[in-house]
Amino acid sequence: MRAVLCLVAACLAAYAADAITLPPETAALAHSPLPGYMVAMQKCGICHSADYITLQPPHMTFEQWGKEMAKMQHTYGAPISDAEITLLAAYLASTYGDAVTVPKEARVSPASLAQSDVQTLINSNGCLGCHALQQKIVGPAFRDVAAKYRGNPEALVTVESHIRSGGQGRWGAVPMPPFSGLDARELEMLATFVLQQH
Amino acid sequence: MRAALNSRRQFLRGASVLLAGAALPLRDLAATVDQPFGNGTRELVVYPQKRPLMRITTRPPHLETPFSVFNEGPITPNDAFFVRYHLANIPLSVDLNAYRLRVHGKVGQELSLSLEDLQRIGDAEELVAVNQCAGNSRGYSMPRVFGAQLGNGSMGNARWAGLPLRRLLQKAGIAADATQVTFNGLDTPVLPATSDFIKSLAIDDALSSDVLLAWNMNNEPIPMLNGYPLKLIVPGYFGTYWVKHLCDIEVINTPFAGHDALFMTTAYRLPDNECGCVPPGTQPANTVPIGRFKVRSFVTSLTNGSILHRGRTTQIKGIAFDGGYGIKTVQISIDGGVSWRDAILGENLGKYSFREWRVALTPTQVGPLELRVRASNTRNETQPAEAAWNPAGYARNVIESMHLVVV
Repeated sequence: MRAVLCLVAACLAAYAADAITLPPETAALAHSPLPGYMVAMQKCGICHSADYITLQPPHMTFEQWGKEMAKMQHTYGAPISDAEITLLAAYLASTYGDAVTVPKEARVSPASLAQSDVQTLINSNGCLGCHALQQKIVGPAFRDVAAKYRGNPEALVTVESHIRSGGQGRWGAVPMPPFSGLDARELEMLATFVLQQH
Repeated sequence: MRAALNSRRQFLRGASVLLAGAALPLRDLAATVDQPFGNGTRELVVYPQKRPLMRITTRPPHLETPFSVFNEGPITPNDAFFVRYHLANIPLSVDLNAYRLRVHGKVGQELSLSLEDLQRIGDAEELVAVNQCAGNSRGYSMPRVFGAQLGNGSMGNARWAGLPLRRLLQKAGIAADATQVTFNGLDTPVLPATSDFIKSLAIDDALSSDVLLAWNMNNEPIPMLNGYPLKLIVPGYFGTYWVKHLCDIEVINTPFAGHDALFMTTAYRLPDNECGCVPPGTQPANTVPIGRFKVRSFVTSLTNGSILHRGRTTQIKGIAFDGGYGIKTVQISIDGGVSWRDAILGENLGKYSFREWRVALTPTQVGPLELRVRASNTRNETQPAEAAWNPAGYARNVIESMHLVVV
């Protein structure tokens, strides 16, 4: 109840004329062929900018980064699986920490993460952390997205683009992070699923 | 731990790059501040209502005050004051026609007050108080720890004005069995799975005379990024309790627990012992919520590498503060802490304020000179020679040491 009331006040406040404008985000994660890079691109940016990662102390180990990712999962509710924690720790320790501490087997994507169907895609990309089928959570309900684009011949390509690039302002002030790691087939599967909701 | 790691060295870089040529991309033109710990360079960025500050993180925004500001005077200007959020959904404006402060829970009368309503309850009171991040100086922790990698500038000292919290609680009427008061602001988490940022105070602390509901900071409305329109001021306590954009106060008669109690029950906790510390690299068995600051002191008029002249007197200046008992002495040492000389304390702006100090130093021989500073308070609490370590890098207060050169 308490949180709801504050949300109401924040929403009313958000439309006042004298709103401040924050500088754009410029920090970016370092590119890597490791599978954890894509996980980091998709998940970390939901709640915080990349500089939260890039400013951390040098030389943190695979084990230390793994514990930090477990803290993100358990303590702060990050939508990451145990398998993704391992991939993230491998990417982060290799890129920003002590690369020699990363075991070989942690550098490859386990078979359990193979993205074969749309349900797996939705789960592994954390879509339901912000969206629900029928009601607005942080992002719009899939049903509302489908309704907005119903009858629009560009619907599929538009929604695919919005998933791939992310954005802000179409449905409110909370930004959607870009899911640039998805391939064309995966984007089509996700966009089709969203547009089928009613 | 080692003196070289404790010492502070910041210098502005970028002006020379500006002169180097116009063909450089914009990013390379940004001024930066270097700090003597790994990955310690910070960009200086302008945010609304702020002068260029050291950007720690972009979303949620986290900005640190360049240390040179603390040599400008005992009061930290609003446009230089540090900024720290935990949750990314932050208010970018607040409509005072819609804004309400709600008081509820174990009270005789629930209240829903506009800022004007609050201001009519009683006379505003003023006090000068330091706000310091629990993680101030975390970047100097050795071994290093995760978290916002802060230098020494996540603190500031301002004149706060507002209604004493106890006046509001008395108006609402507190149940006899009330034990805690919780405080929530307008910022909210991105994901429902993430806890809201809500802090609690024991009822006796909430009723103590100096806790304020402040709407003014240095005689102006509080800047948006520092908590406009209303900020909880808990003098002597770490900044984590100073809830920004305060909109909800609940009186409870149970321990504060549950999903949204995380920033009391899991985060912002120290090892449950006198030093709040554990052997480096280990985990504490028991923890307690962090509370008051420990004693700290800094030199502000010199930086690492500053040059003094043999036989010439230099007036050295700095600041000291503690958790609200008041600074009693500040001392310097130039012989590695064997002997100490008293500094002269400046104007007393109150027991929660920065206390300026100065001391004249006339070096007698050329070569390197290590300058240490320590303070003690009216309870004879002082600063340790070796840094205490805890896993979150909270509450650092080791004796600071600076490396100078005498020519």
